[in-house]
Amino acid sequence: MTITRFVSSIAAAFALAACGRRERAPDALPTATPIKHLVVIFGENISFDHYFGTYPVAANPRGEPAFTAAPGTPAVNGLSPALLAHNPNAANGQNGTMASNPFRLDRTQAATADQSHDYTEEQLAYDGGAADLFPKYTGAGLGGGTTAFYTPAVVMGYYDGNTVTALWNYAQHFAMSDAAYGDVYGPSAPGAIGLVSGQTNGWVTDTAADSTSWVHDGQGGFTLISDAGPSLDVCSDSLLYINQGRMTGRNVGDLLSAAGVTWGWFQGGFDLGTATAGGKGCSRTTKSSIALQAAPDFIPHHEPFQYYRSTANPRHLRPASPGAIGRSGDAANHQYDLRDFFAAVREGNFPAVAFLKAPAHEDGHAGYSDPLDEQTFLTEVVNFVEESPEWPRTAIVILYDDSDGWYDHQMAPIGNASFDRRDRLSGTGACGVRGTTPQLGGVKGAGPVNGRCGPGPRQPFLVVSPWARPNYVDHTLVTQSSVLRFIEDNWLGGRRIGGGSFDAAAGPITGMFDFAGQGTTPRLFLDDSLGTPVAAPSNRLPE
Amino acid sequence: MNAASGGRPHARRAWLAGAACLGLIALTGPAAGAPQPGPNPAPVRLVRPAARPLSAMARIGRDLFFDPRLSASGRLSCAGCHVPSRAYGPPDGRSAPLGGLRDRDEGRRAVPSLRYADRIPAFGIGPDAVVEGAASPVSLAQPGAPPRKVAGAAGASAMVPQGGLFWDGRAASLELQAMGPLFNPAELANRDTAALARRLEAAYGPRLAALIGAPAVEDPRRLVYEAAYAVVRFEIEDSTFHPYTSKFDAYLEGRARLTAAEARGLAAFDDPARGNCAACHLDRPDAAGRPPAFTDFQYEALGVPRNAALPANRDTGSYDLGLCGPARTDLAREAKYCGMFRTPSLRNAATRGVFFHNGRYHRLEDVLAFYVLRDARPDSVYPRGPGGRARRFDDLPAADTANVDRADRPFGTPPGAASPLSARDRRDIIAFLRTLTDGYRGAAGSASGHEDDLAPGAGLHHAAVRLRRGG
Repeated sequence: MTITRFVSSIAAAFALAACGRRERAPDALPTATPIKHLVVIFGENISFDHYFGTYPVAANPRGEPAFTAAPGTPAVNGLSPALLAHNPNAANGQNGTMASNPFRLDRTQAATADQSHDYTEEQLAYDGGAADLFPKYTGAGLGGGTTAFYTPAVVMGYYDGNTVTALWNYAQHFAMSDAAYGDVYGPSAPGAIGLVSGQTNGWVTDTAADSTSWVHDGQGGFTLISDAGPSLDVCSDSLLYINQGRMTGRNVGDLLSAAGVTWGWFQGGFDLGTATAGGKGCSRTTKSSIALQAAPDFIPHHEPFQYYRSTANPRHLRPASPGAIGRSGDAANHQYDLRDFFAAVREGNFPAVAFLKAPAHEDGHAGYSDPLDEQTFLTEVVNFVEESPEWPRTAIVILYDDSDGWYDHQMAPIGNASFDRRDRLSGTGACGVRGTTPQLGGVKGAGPVNGRCGPGPRQPFLVVSPWARPNYVDHTLVTQSSVLRFIEDNWLGGRRIGGGSFDAAAGPITGMFDFAGQGTTPRLFLDDSLGTPVAAPSNRLPE
Repeated sequence: MNAASGGRPHARRAWLAGAACLGLIALTGPAAGAPQPGPNPAPVRLVRPAARPLSAMARIGRDLFFDPRLSASGRLSCAGCHVPSRAYGPPDGRSAPLGGLRDRDEGRRAVPSLRYADRIPAFGIGPDAVVEGAASPVSLAQPGAPPRKVAGAAGASAMVPQGGLFWDGRAASLELQAMGPLFNPAELANRDTAALARRLEAAYGPRLAALIGAPAVEDPRRLVYEAAYAVVRFEIEDSTFHPYTSKFDAYLEGRARLTAAEARGLAAFDDPARGNCAACHLDRPDAAGRPPAFTDFQYEALGVPRNAALPANRDTGSYDLGLCGPARTDLAREAKYCGMFRTPSLRNAATRGVFFHNGRYHRLEDVLAFYVLRDARPDSVYPRGPGGRARRFDDLPAADTANVDRADRPFGTPPGAASPLSARDRRDIIAFLRTLTDGYRGAAGSASGHEDDLAPGAGLHHAAVRLRRGG
């Protein structure tokens, strides 16, 4: 060993020691529940009825992975016979020639066109609670490759356990909510930012002053309602986004870092140094063999922490070592490639809180991804985590950033009002009733802010854990911020983000757990292409 | 030269430089020059679509594809024009197919091959639209448009139309493409959705209901779209639509030897100073190892002579202008795209009896002659006008002739000058094009390892022949 190398190893040892003082191993941290590791798998663009509308009854055509419900499987608030055969979206003449009942999407129709999922269009589709204008307002059916299913009013299509087989099997063995909603209406970026802060107010634009991506909040600031790019991120540029900017205010990463809890956001394509057949750097793509489309691996506006100065890793710097993952004081600043999660866990460095985002072609978003590619991602991740020695102390939450505009019949009661001209849920310029519906404040705490109409559309929400209630469906109204609340309650002594965050009032997800029990719900390994149970997993991992 | 035709050749040349370098590495090693006869000195591994048993939906699609009951005449099926044994291209040398109520109406365009149609990307004019959430179906949900910052993307800085189904790209998907002939009065000629749905429900209702539910089958509109998508599944899943079993594929993989003529033809095909064919008809595997598509899926105005054999052309004031109409309607005001049609793949071109969008030519020799003589000897390509001069680009209104590509070789030869392609070059290129025909089984007659792909094709051929005989 040369002197220089010796000196640098000493420095590394000191660096590690310094980190070690700040963060404690997750198993040594006091927690309110037996959960020492939370893995949040944040998928893209699915409504509850789109995946679970006919749960637990699948059509089971010959040649497709079959699904038969276990005895005693609870019912869900899904598509009743009346909603299937006499749906208000078929009856409402405003839908014109697109008027349609819900219909089954076959497994061969996994790749579909994308729907409209804007803040305003989604509100219009719910039509004040009648939920009968989806074909008209969100059923645009745009995007998607030449082999995608483009049928008119595809927005009314639903999959069953022959296509989303893995999710139906997880629901059978673990716990699910049929009353989980987005915090607000609108697309990916507000959903992702909401997941980590419970707050989409506090937007600062770095491009034009006015845009359809945000609204004036009524207090001199802005609320983000659409997918403007994170200007701090080197992969966000003007070719990709007309509008770019940043978030002010705090997120859960700030709180976890301050408390010495290890955490990270792990996203496919984040490591810009990896070259594949699909290229390298920010423009790396992977072609789905199902959607037959090349999608960029890394999508900047799906990475919420890159919007905040305190938690951004603008140049996508790499962690010093697998041992540094999850810890502060490292160049990566808690933002990693998906593969870093697997490396850290293998190294015995399973962070306390890990947010996982698939490479885009496996994120489930119609138009460039699909449920079968998403299933590959989900099963490979869950199989991997179930094989970890930390599994007995782990919970995996699977939820979504938005609904894509896919039909769902159940609107939540309006919990947070907004009165911007882009609000249309209760009438033109209105979401809720002024003076009656609660309206939270913004990051400055000055008074009620606009642009946060919610809860938004209903989405799937599952808990996979030895502590999950087996084959259980919870009906407590929860939102994306309920995950935030669980983190705060479990590791931070119930400390809240503040500044008008939804976390304080979010419903609890603990109903899906049985913490009084023994944590003995068995593991379930699934085949990564069929989603059906297997005795031993393939040990393949997503790229 | 206007902006449209000026921008594109530059992009093409830039791309070509890259393609040529890649080709040297991928095909013959960095030190080698033009392709030589014999085996590929640097074989590559080609990635083909995985073969799986057909799904129930695709099996329905296969039956629909060969079913003449889908036509108003009761005699024409999809396979009548897209003949399996001819690479899902036209059955004969007729410029445009006959169809309609009495099988007597002739369309305006040559039948494109459906083989390898799964490779055609979504229509877009690149560099594609800026992504922004406000118009949210786009919020990065549209990588269907050409990838933005991907290395090797052709003409990344030029506004180049590409992709989409039909000669003019007006169908956004294979499903919407399948709908076109069903309702075209000169093709399958169904009067309306209800008429077709009645026939579909009687013949396929129960099988489709098992997949999409009974209420959807009772909705005529939905039933028709589902049937069209079933046909798409047949096209996607059945390996006869993407076999990649040509001699050239085998050569790329080191399993076949090029003859001297084929090797010279490939060299002329690639040479930017001679054929320059590979500038548009890409002949290298892509980065993921997929076999070459022999098209860049982009649009080009070639100025092909008017085809007097088409009944529609008896109206001298009527023009088929491709991207800007009349079949396509959304780009009618974009004069810079008038006369542009999508570049087809050259795979299986040697099995076709009709070439270009208007079916003007019927032999590869004549196609090559057009490329060579269009600018050097226009009077041998175009009819003579009143003054005895050739009426160049006579299938375009005068105002649109500026869109014709005059810069890319082999075009641009001054009148009277010698063509960059000799007569032998042309013969050699045709010899090379014949290596692009699927079904190569090796010099010794040994199967290439794709006999499973070929066998069903042969069966489909027989089915198609039966149908055309009125079976």
